[in-house]
Amino acid sequence: MRKEETVKLISAEGFEFVIHKDAAMVSQTIRNMLTSPGSFAETEHGEVTFPEISTTILEKICKYFYWNLQYASGKQTEFHIEPELVLELMMAANYLHT
Amino acid sequence: MYIRVKRSKTTYFIQCEPTETSLDIKQKLHDLIDQPVSDQRLILVSTGEVLEDSKSLADLKVENDAVVALTLRKG
Repeated sequence: MRKEETVKLISAEGFEFVIHKDAAMVSQTIRNMLTSPGSFAETEHGEVTFPEISTTILEKICKYFYWNLQYASGKQTEFHIEPELVLELMMAANYLHT
Repeated sequence: MYIRVKRSKTTYFIQCEPTETSLDIKQKLHDLIDQPVSDQRLILVSTGEVLEDSKSLADLKVENDAVVALTLRKG
């Protein structure tokens, strides 16, 4: 995995998550941010800040991305979600189109 | 599978296989953070154990979604 193949997702509290581009592209919103034509900061540095998504939720989302890739490749496991995270997670999922 | 490597405010999601060694992980981290393999030390957070270079992730009981802490030697 080379540096150019990764994206950095930054949460409301400033915590950074470095994940593979393929994983991030599970989200339609992030895909659009990273692939839109023209020189946007997001496309060039591979960094996206989410001021409205908290660290716990963003980490869960990153886990989901990787789970989704595994699921798509045939390895079907359960994805556990803590009940207290459900509401915030659904709002984030709506925003991210996942 | 993947593991989460954490240091200060940053988390790296690293894709890997149970057959890979701790050294392979450090090599992947080297590509991301430009720190030589010899200056990196990985600690499995759940047990507090330092991961030895030569051992495989399976031997070290590092599973999918495990959290590993990264420390760096001062130059």
